[in-house]
Amino acid sequence: MPPSARNALFALLAIIAVPAYAISSIHISVGEVDAPAGQLKNARFQVDLKGAEPTLKLSAELKPGNEKTFTAFNLNCGTFLNTRIGELDCLNGVFAAKQINVPLTAHFKSYPGDFSVNIDFMQASFSDATGIHAGEKLTGKVILAARKQADVWHWSGVFNWTDGELYWQPFYFGKAGNSFAIGGTFKAPMLQIREANLLVNEVGSMSASAHINTQTKKVEDVKVVAKEVDFAGLYSLVLKPMVEKSAFGNLKVSGKADWQFEMKNLQPTSFELNLKNAHVEDLKGKFELNDINAHIPWDYDVPQTVELSYSQGHVLNMPLGNTRLQAELNRYSVTAPSLVLPVLDGALKFEDVSAAYLNQQWFWHLKMQLQPISMNQFSQTLGWPEMQGKVDGQVPLITYANKQLSMDGAMQFNMFNGSVRMYDLRIDDPLGTVPRLYANLEMRDIDLGDLTRTFNFGAIEGKLEGDVKDLRLESWKPVHMDAIIQTADGKHRKKVSQRAVENITALGGEGTAAALQRTFLRFFKEFNYEKIGLSCQLRQDVCKMGGVESTPTGYVIVKGKGVPTVTVNGYTEYVSLTDLLARIKRITDSNSKMIVK
Amino acid sequence: MAKLSLKARQKPSLAKRLRSRTGKNMKKILLGFAMIASLFMATGSSFVQAAAADLEINTPAITAIKNSMQARHPQILPHYNSGAVGLTKDGLIAVRDATAVPLKDRGGINSLVSAENADRNKLYKEIATANGHPEWEGEVRQTFAGRWVDKAQSGWWYQGASGWVKK
Repeated sequence: MPPSARNALFALLAIIAVPAYAISSIHISVGEVDAPAGQLKNARFQVDLKGAEPTLKLSAELKPGNEKTFTAFNLNCGTFLNTRIGELDCLNGVFAAKQINVPLTAHFKSYPGDFSVNIDFMQASFSDATGIHAGEKLTGKVILAARKQADVWHWSGVFNWTDGELYWQPFYFGKAGNSFAIGGTFKAPMLQIREANLLVNEVGSMSASAHINTQTKKVEDVKVVAKEVDFAGLYSLVLKPMVEKSAFGNLKVSGKADWQFEMKNLQPTSFELNLKNAHVEDLKGKFELNDINAHIPWDYDVPQTVELSYSQGHVLNMPLGNTRLQAELNRYSVTAPSLVLPVLDGALKFEDVSAAYLNQQWFWHLKMQLQPISMNQFSQTLGWPEMQGKVDGQVPLITYANKQLSMDGAMQFNMFNGSVRMYDLRIDDPLGTVPRLYANLEMRDIDLGDLTRTFNFGAIEGKLEGDVKDLRLESWKPVHMDAIIQTADGKHRKKVSQRAVENITALGGEGTAAALQRTFLRFFKEFNYEKIGLSCQLRQDVCKMGGVESTPTGYVIVKGKGVPTVTVNGYTEYVSLTDLLARIKRITDSNSKMIVK
Repeated sequence: MAKLSLKARQKPSLAKRLRSRTGKNMKKILLGFAMIASLFMATGSSFVQAAAADLEINTPAITAIKNSMQARHPQILPHYNSGAVGLTKDGLIAVRDATAVPLKDRGGINSLVSAENADRNKLYKEIATANGHPEWEGEVRQTFAGRWVDKAQSGWWYQGASGWVKK
């Protein structure tokens, strides 16, 4: 009992002797012990000497200093030996409390200035009330020893287990064969952890040192170093629990890693992660990078340069070529004047990249330039109809803050000899379950010949222009827009093939496509037109349709010119967008053979 | 001049389609609501308004949320069965007994539950908004809270008036 213990009450010390000269059992009851480390009450200590070997039964209620309630526990020893003064053996014992059951064999040694305990546990299970620290079916060993030299305690501890699993939030040790060895000194109030070695099965070894002030309970200095550890093990044990909710929370990784970090007063001061020939693959197939070599240093006070390279990979099926990236890491922000990601035969160039992690949220902005990529490869890669020409474009400043992505200025892509511009772009919660996109689109001078050949719609010669105002996508599906696409005026060739007329007609509904075939017009392969156009005012799934002109009963979709003249009128004012898209898909799919020129 | 007519198979009007989409189930729900609503009519409670809410309404957002919840369901199912996770009275779920979660899953249980709750909160909000009455979110949530409990399998836990109850 510590000298400061008070209110200790020895209620009963009963020694029952039968026969009179032999002691058959010893009972000790202690009402209450109050010590700085905690409180003990209702302690009952009983040594039974009647059998071949003495047994021990100990029960009490304990409240450690930092807890609010008492917890009852029992320690029973099948054999309780006291072979030497100051030494005790508990064989075939069981330590039990609420949610704790530890079968054990223990050896205690306690001399002035020299203390040790050696416990072998078998199939032990424990859990705290909230389950954030728990072990199941653990078999292993704990050795603790402390010896006082001069006025300094030198202590050591070993904890290893050969069977079972352990969860210590947020870390899960599923594979047995882990070992934790720790040693240091204690001179009030400083506890020095000179060396802590953690050998984790299938990961490798890590070592740590720390200085802890036991009076202020401050961890003043911690350093953890892990060399040549298995990246897969390090990821599943340490990194995954930390990035569980991010895009990096569901990866398959391999390779080797060196890892270290330092903390002062519980604040991280430096960190370094080096990856060697690592492979990272998102299990949902969103991205994959091969042969990653990375040097990621971080220091709270001094800006560091991050270097990362990979030989190849893909993001959303878009192949990435050999890449070397460099950026500056300054406390909680990362900046790079330029990052170039080779993509197919072109490249995606990010400029003026800046990202910061504040209040557990990411904020970033960047500019982007798409250096010309062959549409041929690009379309094949995405499984689209094969396209010709090149696509290039520029994306002005994009900003991401408070789960909202917004763009200043207009994004422009050049394709089909024309351009597509997107402006006033905003995406709310782009990575969430319900991303919402708001934008306006403008198409100019799109070569209808190239476009209709690509999508095998039936040839139309001319230029296409279009405007989509107040476009709103919900979970990437359109729910609102005021759209009009039409052929451009001008002195270029304006021809529409018979097949294209049939397909335009079919957009309005099946059944009418054959009408052309029933007239003399079937003998003509193509017709001149003055204008072709369709408009859609979309509200939820319903499109209010229009054409290039209104008629008393509907609207004109194809306005012919010359002789013979073909005109396609639409009568259906309200069309379901789902049905309309299904019709377009049927038309383009039914022409299974792609024509590529 | 040849004139081709577009005899598109006309879709019924939006209102008609919404009516037919909701179908017989909707009629039952509306009838049920109407009966309950009539009881509250005199009080002018906002629940009277919610009586007309279409809980089966579909928008791309609602479909995306339902798909997300369905994809997650197999991961949560063993935790409903073990009693680790229960249904709360406000239409969400909660970790009821973390010690019932296998150790290997214990680290992920909180993020699983918070992702599910984020989807459930969005679902109630989107259904109310899609009905044109964002202020009905509370009533939609309460109705769903009851539905989840009705649909729960025997042995699952839910929050009753005075605490957790095993169904």
